[in-house]
Amino acid sequence: MKMNLLISCFGIVALVSCGTLDLNPLSDGSSETWNSNKEEIEMSLNGLYKDAFWMVDNDDWTDDLMYRNTTTPVIDATLNGETGFILTWWSNTYKAIARANNVIESLVRAAGALTEQQLNQYEGEARFVRACQYSRLLSHFGNIVYTEKTLDIEEALGMEQSDRQVVLQKIYEDFDFAAANLKTSYSTTELKKATAGAAYAMKARIALQMEDWNTARTAAKACIDLGTYSLYPNYGNLFLTTTKNSVETVFGLPRSISLGVALGGLQDYIPRNAGGWGAKNPTWDLFCAYLCTDGLPIDESPLFDPRNPFKNRDPRCTASIVEFQTPHLNFMYQPHPDSVTVRNFATNAYVENKDTRTIAQFASFNGLIWKKGVAADWLLNSWQIESDKIILRYADVLLMYAEAKIEMGEIDQSVADAINQVRARAYGVEPTAKDRYPAVTTTDPAQLRKIIRSERRMEFALENIRYMDLIRWKLAEKALNTPNYGMLDPADLRTKVVEKGLWFFPETPQIDDDGVVDFSSMYSKGLVNQVNLRKFDASRQYLWPIPSKEVLTSGLKQNPNY
Amino acid sequence: MKYTLIQVFIVMTFAGISLARPADAQDLLNQKVNLSAENKSMQAIFQQIETQLAIKFTYRSKLIPSGKKFNVTVKNETLNHVLDQLLTPLSIRYKIIGQQIVLSKQPKEETSMLPLPSIRIKLVDFAVKGTVTDESGQGLPGVSVVLKGTQQGTITNTEGVYTLNVPDASNSILVFSFVGYTSQEHLVNRRSALDVALLTDNKALEEVVVVGYGTQQKKDITGAVASVQGDELTQRKTTQISQALQGTMPGVMVTRTNNAPGATANIRIRGITTITDAGSNPLIILDGVPIDDINSINPNDVESISVLKDAASASIYGSRAAAGVILVTTKRAKKGQLSMDYSIEYGLEKPTQMPEYVDAGGYMRLVNELRWNDNANNSNEYPIYAKDLIDNYTQLNGENPDLYPITNWQSLIMKNSAPRKSHLLSLSAAGQFIRTRVSLAYDKTDALYDNRYFERLTTRINNDITVNKYLSASVDINFRRENYEQPNISPFYLMGIAAPVYAAEWSDGRIGAGKDGDNIYAQLKHGGFDRTNKNQIGGKIGLDFTPIDGLKISGVFSPFLNLNKQKIFKTKIPYTAATDPNIISGYMNGFSETSLAENRNDNYRYTAQFLVNYGKQIHNHSFNLLGGYEFFYAFNENLGASRGQYILNNYPYLNIGPLDLRNNSGSAWENAYRSWFGRAMYNYKEKYLLQANVRFDGSSRFAKDYRWGSFPSFSAGWVLSEESFLQGGTPWLSFLKLRASWGSLGNERIGNYPYQAILNFENSSLFYQGNNVVSAQAAAQWQYAIRNISWETTQSTDFGIDAHFLNERLRFSGDYYVKTTKDMLLALEIPDYVGFDNPDQNTGKMHTKGWEFQVGYTDKAGDFGYSVSFNLSDFKSRMGDLGGTEFIGDSIKIQGSEYNEWYGYVSEGLFQTAREVTDLPKLNASVREGDVRYRDISGPDGIPDGKISPEYDRVLLGGSLPRLMYGFNATLNYKNWDFSFVVQGVGKQNSRLTADMIQPLRSNWGTFASILDGNSYSHYNTAEQNLGARYPRYSYTSASNNYTMSDYWLINGRYLRIKNINLGYNVPQLLAEKVRIKGLRLYASVTDLWTLNKFPKGWDPEMSSLTYPITATYVLGASVKF
Repeated sequence: MKMNLLISCFGIVALVSCGTLDLNPLSDGSSETWNSNKEEIEMSLNGLYKDAFWMVDNDDWTDDLMYRNTTTPVIDATLNGETGFILTWWSNTYKAIARANNVIESLVRAAGALTEQQLNQYEGEARFVRACQYSRLLSHFGNIVYTEKTLDIEEALGMEQSDRQVVLQKIYEDFDFAAANLKTSYSTTELKKATAGAAYAMKARIALQMEDWNTARTAAKACIDLGTYSLYPNYGNLFLTTTKNSVETVFGLPRSISLGVALGGLQDYIPRNAGGWGAKNPTWDLFCAYLCTDGLPIDESPLFDPRNPFKNRDPRCTASIVEFQTPHLNFMYQPHPDSVTVRNFATNAYVENKDTRTIAQFASFNGLIWKKGVAADWLLNSWQIESDKIILRYADVLLMYAEAKIEMGEIDQSVADAINQVRARAYGVEPTAKDRYPAVTTTDPAQLRKIIRSERRMEFALENIRYMDLIRWKLAEKALNTPNYGMLDPADLRTKVVEKGLWFFPETPQIDDDGVVDFSSMYSKGLVNQVNLRKFDASRQYLWPIPSKEVLTSGLKQNPNY
Repeated sequence: MKYTLIQVFIVMTFAGISLARPADAQDLLNQKVNLSAENKSMQAIFQQIETQLAIKFTYRSKLIPSGKKFNVTVKNETLNHVLDQLLTPLSIRYKIIGQQIVLSKQPKEETSMLPLPSIRIKLVDFAVKGTVTDESGQGLPGVSVVLKGTQQGTITNTEGVYTLNVPDASNSILVFSFVGYTSQEHLVNRRSALDVALLTDNKALEEVVVVGYGTQQKKDITGAVASVQGDELTQRKTTQISQALQGTMPGVMVTRTNNAPGATANIRIRGITTITDAGSNPLIILDGVPIDDINSINPNDVESISVLKDAASASIYGSRAAAGVILVTTKRAKKGQLSMDYSIEYGLEKPTQMPEYVDAGGYMRLVNELRWNDNANNSNEYPIYAKDLIDNYTQLNGENPDLYPITNWQSLIMKNSAPRKSHLLSLSAAGQFIRTRVSLAYDKTDALYDNRYFERLTTRINNDITVNKYLSASVDINFRRENYEQPNISPFYLMGIAAPVYAAEWSDGRIGAGKDGDNIYAQLKHGGFDRTNKNQIGGKIGLDFTPIDGLKISGVFSPFLNLNKQKIFKTKIPYTAATDPNIISGYMNGFSETSLAENRNDNYRYTAQFLVNYGKQIHNHSFNLLGGYEFFYAFNENLGASRGQYILNNYPYLNIGPLDLRNNSGSAWENAYRSWFGRAMYNYKEKYLLQANVRFDGSSRFAKDYRWGSFPSFSAGWVLSEESFLQGGTPWLSFLKLRASWGSLGNERIGNYPYQAILNFENSSLFYQGNNVVSAQAAAQWQYAIRNISWETTQSTDFGIDAHFLNERLRFSGDYYVKTTKDMLLALEIPDYVGFDNPDQNTGKMHTKGWEFQVGYTDKAGDFGYSVSFNLSDFKSRMGDLGGTEFIGDSIKIQGSEYNEWYGYVSEGLFQTAREVTDLPKLNASVREGDVRYRDISGPDGIPDGKISPEYDRVLLGGSLPRLMYGFNATLNYKNWDFSFVVQGVGKQNSRLTADMIQPLRSNWGTFASILDGNSYSHYNTAEQNLGARYPRYSYTSASNNYTMSDYWLINGRYLRIKNINLGYNVPQLLAEKVRIKGLRLYASVTDLWTLNKFPKGWDPEMSSLTYPITATYVLGASVKF
């Protein structure tokens, strides 16, 4: 009996201990047979549209935005192969490429189950994403590794950087395939994914960047000719979070706070009266770049008044930068050192004005605050908003078309028409109403080049476009080697500027043919403050450094002079 | 041996027969006899009796074997007892006829029934009685008292009292022994009262050391095993065991970075043998069963801890033993024990060091200098703070503290000290069949700032049940609950960088803005809480079946269940304008909405074991064989749910939050091992010792065909002191053993499904569907999978020596070892352009060499006992061929480097002049005089290229790990007092001065450490002053140049720390007994009191970042025995 008890005890232990070692993932899938049907392929493709794969350039790498007296590795020339965002851009982009390659390679698994057309559409989607990703790599890093298949480690270590033109041709092929096989639009029951128009437009963007004017022009034209896209009627409203899925968006990604994809960290853009920090501001360089309503730069136009610098300016100026003494987010905005109180429109009371440096040390150093896209809903969700992430919009297609034609010397009416469409929309008028806006009429290539460049700067401020424009135009070494100016400190400002009746700009700054603004005269007179110094190392910075790790362990060649 | 009813009947019958003897004969037999005979013949003994009692023995001479000699000592015993005792063994019966005793041969049938112990009296009739006590004078129950050279003996009762009859009142020797104490031998020497005080001795050779799946006598061990007693750990007064292990054993490296309530430490045994952190953690075995975390055990429940350091001792745990094995044995009730102990402790924790920062004026002055530097030292030397403001700041502060705040963040947030307390109750009761120990402990440690504490309740019930002679069982149950409560932010980083010119509170007591909502004081005080509750229920049932002597079959089943939950309730903190409490100026950074996140983790593990153990001694040959089977399974499931933008701040429950900002998540994993193992031990005369182990392990982490690994080991020991050539001639040498071992160990702790190409699901892609935004599920393979991934093996060779001198007073033990890891599992660094996360693969080699020794001396002079010990160890881990992989960062793992060797630029001081900046190689165009200058080492063509670049100018800068780790321990006791003193430290380390220590203007607004002011390069300095400047110029732009990894920031991080001082007093027993308690002990202890080091002022050598500080602990305690 005792033995029986013993045996049964051991028996129980033996029973519970007979577990298996063949354990499979519980909350993840297995990739071995994936992409063999419609649902699986679509899930794989969906992943290519996540926000992390669509990096955009930063405006704090340019002369359009300043973050108090702080610089970034791009504008203080400290960029190298160890800089954090260099590594994430590089590795995330290649992740997107590998996943796109993986879909393209494994589509054969579904060959029996899907029609040729469906398969081509899926392949088109994947190739669109791949081409976009390679475009970004090519334009930023220049000398990159190109692969169209999933690499094994051995193969990978044997790879070398490809010739830039070869990569460009591969990108074109992908975009062409995508344009031929993607829909031009999606029905309201379908998920809106990449379109043929997006493929043309993105192709135009990389072609332009690579100075392949011909291809850029043709692709932009193809996009225009689709007739799918048009300019959103109201420039200022286009960037509000409430303007969703506009007709102008050629390629973009939606955001949603409740679905967990949002744009955050916006406190820096909000004036201090409204609870923000007012830390990231439009530069004076940008402010001065807006033309006057006569179509002339401020140093040439008789309409410009340095005491009232917002007057008679292109409407995009006040749509992008908060005009002084106008209501903004329920407060009157006024950085003037004597405006120690301002009106709160919610309570109609006068309150301490934290947007002047007299009251708040860290109010905007140059008096300017962003207006573009900013609305009351920016304050609601912990400084997150859900505005569309517009990656390429129709105005860009029009201006790319014009720029390509100008650079080719192929100047015809369509060039002026394209620019005028964009400009007229800014003025809220029809392009044909040429008396109501400064329509472009010149056919002089040098004039046009100057016009297209200032037009782009006005149109796309704070849209992450300026950096690559500066790189393409080879103007970075000039524009990014200038000091950043701001107002004097309150006490000096009052005695040297305000009391002398020189508020806001003591003088009209001069602007050269490249659009670079010169404040040195005012600075040498002690009328403005130097906030910080921008530095751009032209010997190397037109290309980004290859990540050090790839140079040291994968055998890639570092870009020159890093 | 058993007594049947028949036997009892016979006993009664014979008793009756004795009573039936004639009265005169009975009188004769009742006469008392005294005998003392040594080595005498029976005839001679008879003669002694004849002379005393005037009687005559009559017998045939053939009856008594003439050659036989006897030892007899009899004192005042009756004749019949003496005769029974003397004659029964010789099968002789006696008859009284008149005054004659007639002896004759016992008939056959009677013989078989005769030897009945109950009526046999013993010749050993000298009764010795005494009390065995421990050092504190407490009676020790369960001590074995044995007559030397025999099996005869007894054990002490609950009071520590024993009684034993000895055969020879003068020359008998009693051996007193008890686990954990030095055995003592005492000559009886006619003393009927013999009291003994046993001394604890961990290092005694007779000590039994817990080894894998069993125990072994220390003198028989052939591997490298270190052990420490629980008492030594509890003396350290840390709540977590891992922290208490620091410096206790050579070769056990314990590192910690903070002393936050409930903080743990990192344990590494004999260096590092693999890449991944998980793989470097030693395997923790609690009472024979693997557990996840050594800190889940209350230090007070620990009887002893053994660390298996070399392959030979650890390879019985094969697969997971590569990083060493820590065996924890919990306390159990001892035989005959009946006691209740209660201890209470109260203590305080104070930071050992806190960094210091410049005052408000200094901050403004230095910020101006920094900005001025970054503006190329232009005309404006007051770019941020006007000169007037700085000059008059104190006065302005007096006039309007809201506009001109001066805040000492540290004194505002930090308390002077953090209290801690502990209660511990333990009960032991041992009966004939059940022995039980129950403990209940409660600990609470507060933090150095408000709203944070750690609280723990542990209970453990250990039962030993004797079912019958063949079967015994152990049934253990433990329960633990831990509560971690803390604010949603740790203050140390922000407190460390917060500049003094921002307001924590407005002058009327409202929350101040801080730096634009970075007000760590308000965030800490009003930002909600992060509360974690951990519950663990664990148990073990073990059955031991001993069918025949020496054979033991055991079965063990041990489940552990963990239920953890976390509630993170983050509340919004609005702050109002200084001038108007009705205007909300904003919300604290990161606290602009109220949100709740709840997490549940539910996991369980179970272990099942079968063991067969057989030991046999044949003459001088001793064998021990062990075979076993083990199965382990672990399952883990996580669940998370959250909602955001709560309207109310005081309902931390999910259903109060808005529907559209809810989120949830869930995931799970499992893994399992199956193992077969065996061990054979052999020794000849305890002189030549041999041991072999092998273990076969299968792991679910590998594909079917690559799943099994085998891990053999061999070890041998030679006890030279047992050899005749060393015996006698060397009285100063008491023990000498040489050991050598070789073995192979495994590791596979790298992900749960590394061979499978896992597809991860995501929901972060959004699309328009019409004009609605929808989330579409996405799937992607993240990691490259290598199908044939299998075990990593570490081969380890160890040479050791144990030598004891001067009658065990001086003890030395030393080891040298070499370890080589092959097929190392590492996340193979593949080119990023492959597009997958780095895959796990078997590649790479690594070599570790090290040595360690421990030396101790114990002695006693009268009432004064003392013991000192010192241990020292060192190792170096060097990376072999890593299959082309390089782990590059500030610390690096590449072929030929040390493990995590520093990697960076070689500095050449600071650029002193603008000319130098122009002429010499530099990292980028923003570098200016006052920045750190680096050496141009190479370039793309292999020669210096006139530029400093991260690709070609970084080199190995020396190992980052601590070297020459040591511990020194002294204990003294005098009468009722005891005192101990522990020193611990690191003899050599390349330590980096981190950004947290020396970089100004962190986060672009932070303050300046006091050590910088006056010691930095400055345009206000003379050239000579700048030549001597320790720190570079203040700059934000050049921070990436100046504070990047270079030897400029490496210092010698060696330190010596007074780890612990402990003083105890045992209230004299007589005094204690008056208040009806058995004993009372009072003690005081100080931990981490003082260090000697070269770190900058304000930094503890064990801290490298702005985190919870290392604290010194002051504890007072009392312990009562009932």
